[in-house]
Amino acid sequence: MICRKGPLKPYNHTSIGADMEIKLEKLDEYRWLIPKTGPMRVPGLIFSNNKLIKAVKEDQSLTQVANVATLPGIVGYSMAMPDIHWGYGFPIGGVAAFNLDEGIVSPGGVGYDINCGCRLITTLLSADEIRPIVKDLISALFKNIPTGVGSTGPLKLSKKDEARVAVQGAAWAVKKGFGTTEDLDKTEDHGAMDGADPSLLSERAMKRGKDQLGTLGSGNHFLELQVVEKIYDDQKARDFSLFEGQVTVFIHTGSRGFGHQICDDFLKEMSMKIQKESIDLPDRQLACARLKSDLGRRYLSAMACAANYAWANRQILMHWTHETLLKTLSINPEELGMNLLYDVCHNIAKKELHTVGGNQVMVCVHRKGATRSLPPGHPLLSQIYRDAGQPVLIPGSMGTYSYVLAGAEGAMTQSFGSTCHGAGRVLSRAKANKKAKSRAIHRELEDIGIFVQSKGKRTLKEEMPEAYKDISQVVEVVHQAGLAKKVARLRPLGVIKG
Amino acid sequence: MHPGKPDFSLLDHTADMGILVRGINLKNLFEEAAKSMMYIMLTYAPGIEETHAVKVSIKGNDLPDLMVRWLGEILYLFEGEKTVVTDTFLSAISPSQLEATLQTIPFDPALHEILREIKAVTYHQIEVAEKDGRWEARIIFDL
Repeated sequence: MICRKGPLKPYNHTSIGADMEIKLEKLDEYRWLIPKTGPMRVPGLIFSNNKLIKAVKEDQSLTQVANVATLPGIVGYSMAMPDIHWGYGFPIGGVAAFNLDEGIVSPGGVGYDINCGCRLITTLLSADEIRPIVKDLISALFKNIPTGVGSTGPLKLSKKDEARVAVQGAAWAVKKGFGTTEDLDKTEDHGAMDGADPSLLSERAMKRGKDQLGTLGSGNHFLELQVVEKIYDDQKARDFSLFEGQVTVFIHTGSRGFGHQICDDFLKEMSMKIQKESIDLPDRQLACARLKSDLGRRYLSAMACAANYAWANRQILMHWTHETLLKTLSINPEELGMNLLYDVCHNIAKKELHTVGGNQVMVCVHRKGATRSLPPGHPLLSQIYRDAGQPVLIPGSMGTYSYVLAGAEGAMTQSFGSTCHGAGRVLSRAKANKKAKSRAIHRELEDIGIFVQSKGKRTLKEEMPEAYKDISQVVEVVHQAGLAKKVARLRPLGVIKG
Repeated sequence: MHPGKPDFSLLDHTADMGILVRGINLKNLFEEAAKSMMYIMLTYAPGIEETHAVKVSIKGNDLPDLMVRWLGEILYLFEGEKTVVTDTFLSAISPSQLEATLQTIPFDPALHEILREIKAVTYHQIEVAEKDGRWEARIIFDL
C-alpha cells in the first residue's frame, strides 16, 4: 500500500491550509533553506526575496518542495525558483535532479503540458509604426491562429505523420515548409529530443494529437505582440539582435491534448505499479518509476514524443504569425525581418551532465515550471549563442512585462542549469474571478495600451494581471542570485488568448 | 450538464482548481463528482436531442484511484471524442471496480458554452472517505 508519511500535512475538508509549520532558514537575501527532516533525503532550497517568500508561505508549495525531497535518488537539493506556487505533486517552479542508479522519473514532475514553453521572435518593425494598427494585427492573428479549449487546426495528421512529428519535432514542421533549418539552431535541443518512440503511445494520445498541431489552446497560453521597452545589457542585446522600440512576438503554448494524455497514461500506470517499486509516496501525484526500469525508460521515450510535438507546434504557429503579419501589413519578408530569437521549454525531464559533489555525473533533471539556463561557452549551445549564453525567455502574465535573460554560470553551480519560468500565480482562479467581478478586464488593459482578444469567457478574469506575482521581482531574484542575467524587458501591445 | 448546481464546493487552490463533493452513498458520490466536473467545464442548454447510452467499466487500485480513473474517462470522452456526458448511473461499485451507464450527446458549440479547460484529473491530495454516514471526495484538477 502507498504509505502516507512525512511532511504532508493532514488535510482539512473545509479549507486547504498554509505552510506555516514548514521550517524555513534564511541563508541570504535570495536563498531560503528547508532543513532536512523526517523522510526528506536532501534539504530544500528556495530562491526568493523577502517580499515574495511571504506569499509562498501562504499556500502548500513549501510542503511540496519537502515532499519532492523524499523521492529516491534525489541529489543536491529539492529546489524551487522564485515563481514557486502550489502545483499538484511537484510545486510549480520546482527543480529536482535524480541519479541514474536508484533515482526516479515522475510524470508529475514534468506536468501534463509536456514541453509547455515559449518562443520569442524579433522583427525589424518599430512599435511606433504598428501602434495605430495593433487592433487589426491582433484581429488577423486571432482569426488565423486556432485558439481556445480543445481547439483544432487546419492540419489533420495521418498516423504516419503524427509519428514523424513525435520523432522529428520542429524539423518535421520545417520540412513541410513551416520555417527554415536556421530556426532549429535557435531551439532548445534543436527542436527534437532523442529517444522518442511513438510505438509506446496509446490510441487515445494519438487520437487527441491528430488535429491539435498548430493550435494555441487556452488557459495561460498566449500569443503576444510586444515592444522592447528596456535594455539592461547592451552587448547581450546586440548578440540577441534586440533593440529598444523593436516589435517582438512571444508565443507561449505546449503539447496540447497529446501531451496531457501521455502524462495521464503513464501516471496511471505508475500509480498502479508503485507498490512493487517499494517507494513511499507522501502524495500520490508523485507517482514515479526508477529511471533504469522499463517503465521509467518508456515514460521518457513517450515524454520525448510530446516534447517534440510541442516544438513542432510552436514552429508552425510562428510560421502562421509570419504569414499573417506580412499579409496584414502588406510588406515583404525583408521589411518585416522576422527572426526566431529562441525557443525554450519549461516543463520537462532531461538527462544532463552536472557537477555533484565535485564530480561530473549524468542526472535526470526535472523542470516543472522552470527554464534551462546555459551559461556562455556551454557545449550544448549552438554556435550562435556560444559567447552570449542561452537566451532565457520569461513570459509575464497577460498585460504585464515579459523578460529576456541570458543563461549564467550560477545556474550550473546552484540549480542544475535552471532558472525561473514566469510570474507564478498568487491568486486562485476563484479569488481572481471574485476580484474581477463586474470589471471589464479587456477595457482596463486597453486603457493602458494593450489590446486583447480572447475566446474563453472566464479566461480574461482568471488570468487578470493581479492574479500573478510581480514578475519584475521574480526576475530580479534570479538576476541577483546569478541564475540568469537580465537582457531586456518587453511590454505587451496586443494579446490573443484561448 | 444538467441545469442546477451539483452538491460540491470549490477548494481554493492557487494554480489549479479543487472540489469537495458530497454524496448520500458511494454510487451517488461518484455520480455527483462527474456532474461537478462537467459543471465546472461547460454550461449546457437543454435541447430536444436524444442522448446516447454508453456503458463503462473502470478498474482501480482503491476508491481514490477509481475516482481519478472514472473522472478521467469522462474527461477523455469530451477531449478526445467530443462527447458530452449529460448524466451518469452507477449500477455497481467496489473499491476496485465500477460499472456505469453514461448518457452522452455530441459536443455542440451552439448548446454548450465551454467555461474552462480541465487538462487532467490529478492524484494530488485525492481523498474519498465516509463521514457520518455520508461520502465525501476531494479532487484537484489541473487547469
